[in-house]
Amino acid sequence: MRHELMRKNQALTATALLGPATIFIAVGLLAPLAILFRYSLNGFVAQTKTMVEALTIQNYVTFFTDAYYTGALGTTVRVALLVTVVCLVLGFPLAYVVARTQSRFKHLLIIAIVLPLFVGNSVRAAGWMVVFGNKGFFNASLMGLGLLSKPIEIMFTEKAVIIGIIAVNLPFMVLSLQSVIESIDRAVEEAAFSLGAPPLTMFRRVLWPLALPGILAGTILCFILAMNAYATPFLLGGPLFKMMAPVIYNEFTQKTNWPFGGAIAFILMAVTLSLTIAANMLLRRRDTRVSPT
Amino acid sequence: MAFMINRRTALAGAAALAAVPAAAADKKVIIGTWGGDYSRLLTKNIDSLLKGVEVVHAEENADPRKAKMMAEKVLRRGTTDVQGLSANDMYEVDQHGLVEHLDYSKMPNAKNLIPAMKYPYGIGHIYSGKVVLYNPDMMKAPEGFADTLDPKLGNKLGIIDIQRQYVMVAAALASGGSVHDFEPGKARLIACRKAGARIYPSNEAFAQALKTGEIACGIMWKARAVQWQNAGIKVETVAPKEGVPMYVSGFVMQKNAPNKEAAYAWLNAMMDPSAQKNFAIDMGYNPTVTNADVPADVAKRIGFTDEEKKRLVDLDYAYMAKTDAANQDWWNKSFKG
Repeated sequence: MRHELMRKNQALTATALLGPATIFIAVGLLAPLAILFRYSLNGFVAQTKTMVEALTIQNYVTFFTDAYYTGALGTTVRVALLVTVVCLVLGFPLAYVVARTQSRFKHLLIIAIVLPLFVGNSVRAAGWMVVFGNKGFFNASLMGLGLLSKPIEIMFTEKAVIIGIIAVNLPFMVLSLQSVIESIDRAVEEAAFSLGAPPLTMFRRVLWPLALPGILAGTILCFILAMNAYATPFLLGGPLFKMMAPVIYNEFTQKTNWPFGGAIAFILMAVTLSLTIAANMLLRRRDTRVSPT
Repeated sequence: MAFMINRRTALAGAAALAAVPAAAADKKVIIGTWGGDYSRLLTKNIDSLLKGVEVVHAEENADPRKAKMMAEKVLRRGTTDVQGLSANDMYEVDQHGLVEHLDYSKMPNAKNLIPAMKYPYGIGHIYSGKVVLYNPDMMKAPEGFADTLDPKLGNKLGIIDIQRQYVMVAAALASGGSVHDFEPGKARLIACRKAGARIYPSNEAFAQALKTGEIACGIMWKARAVQWQNAGIKVETVAPKEGVPMYVSGFVMQKNAPNKEAAYAWLNAMMDPSAQKNFAIDMGYNPTVTNADVPADVAKRIGFTDEEKKRLVDLDYAYMAKTDAANQDWWNKSFKG
């Protein structure tokens, strides 16, 4: 009887703890998503810019049959994958050094990594605009040194967007990796070396599999942030560059085509989720194959 | 003593709660506006004229503000009282039934309003005309839109992305079209684009390109050219021979504005001669009232000669609203590619 009462109390406590967050998510996220999904099945009259009630998948069909929109999706996935790979390659050595350093300035290193997150994306993009312009810091310096005769076009190109998003996402990757690498005992690396493993083998057979949870967390975070990037592609990509988030914004605010904007938003969510799950499964399967146990 | 909530106390409580925002709203008017210079000058030249009313600016670009008005259509009380929009946007929001048709008798300053600036659904605040801008060090003065939106200029021509509708009007006028038909201008724009015309995301990016000599010419409001001249940018203007499309920026009152009386008071202050005069001096746009005493030198720089005034063309807002979604598609997919 007492046992049952305790169980009941525990259940009540759990409900009380979970309740507020669940209600918040349900009201603040799921309800708008449900409304948006319903809108995405509505029609749109272009002449009057009005939404009309319907139940059709035409908006989804239009997206996949129009090269403009599939092109934007292709660019978004390509940029997100590239940014994630570059962040992993650049971030891993940095995270390793920060995790393993015994220096008394370690906390300063961590602050230096976190510091860019104190500045908003659009402010950082504005900074890049000063660097990338035809007479900006980069071109002016190289031309001043005589290394360039005419400026390289970086501003309003894909290059600018990729550099900008890498700068935004890199701290997320480094922090995810650093916390996991720190939890891996240095002794297992030394054991691999003492058994004659060269550094690359140690990395492949010991460090990589053990750091995999951090790698997964970092790459997923980085990929999702890049897929949904808005300010950086909008400000650095210019009017000719197309990524999904600015396209969605344009459909909602400029064309007031909420049904089509809703459909694109759901397509972006579905593609991001599917690719994330696929990458997760692939990495985990490879890990099980590589892992000695 | 037990605390009882019965029907009567509940109703009294609800009434008291409802009365609080109503009382506060009496002294507050919320203006939806662009940010930056425009908002700053509203504060300096208009808000300061209203005594005892708190003026709050909700700053955003026009598109998201229009989207919010649309989303708030079903609400009894909207979140803004007045919205600053271009004339074609004012027409569009009226078509959606989002704005109040104004009672001009509640605004004494309206008696001085230029008749063309008096819309049933809104009031023109400032106006300018679309002119050709060029750098005299880089090219000789063009005569109009046809030799500015000209493929021969290659990448020395700059086009502003957010000025899409007006670029299309200009291209139409240059190619035998009119304010009622943009189609003839499309081939010209595509040819310019293929020849390397540069597209800039904002007015400011275009100004920067003019300043650095990246481009030699483009089209823009005369008022902006005056502002850029003031900022030291080498740029001259030409009133195009094909016609000068008018740009009117004004204010509408949201249909579900929480405080319509304060909104009328603010709109009246907006037409005050001192406010209109200071806007002309500070921003280079022409006043929409007849009694603004603009200094002669300012009037000469921002205004148009009698000959040029004859070429001012008002836009066909109904046509623009009807074709806007399709033209946006054309602009994004075919022109920008």
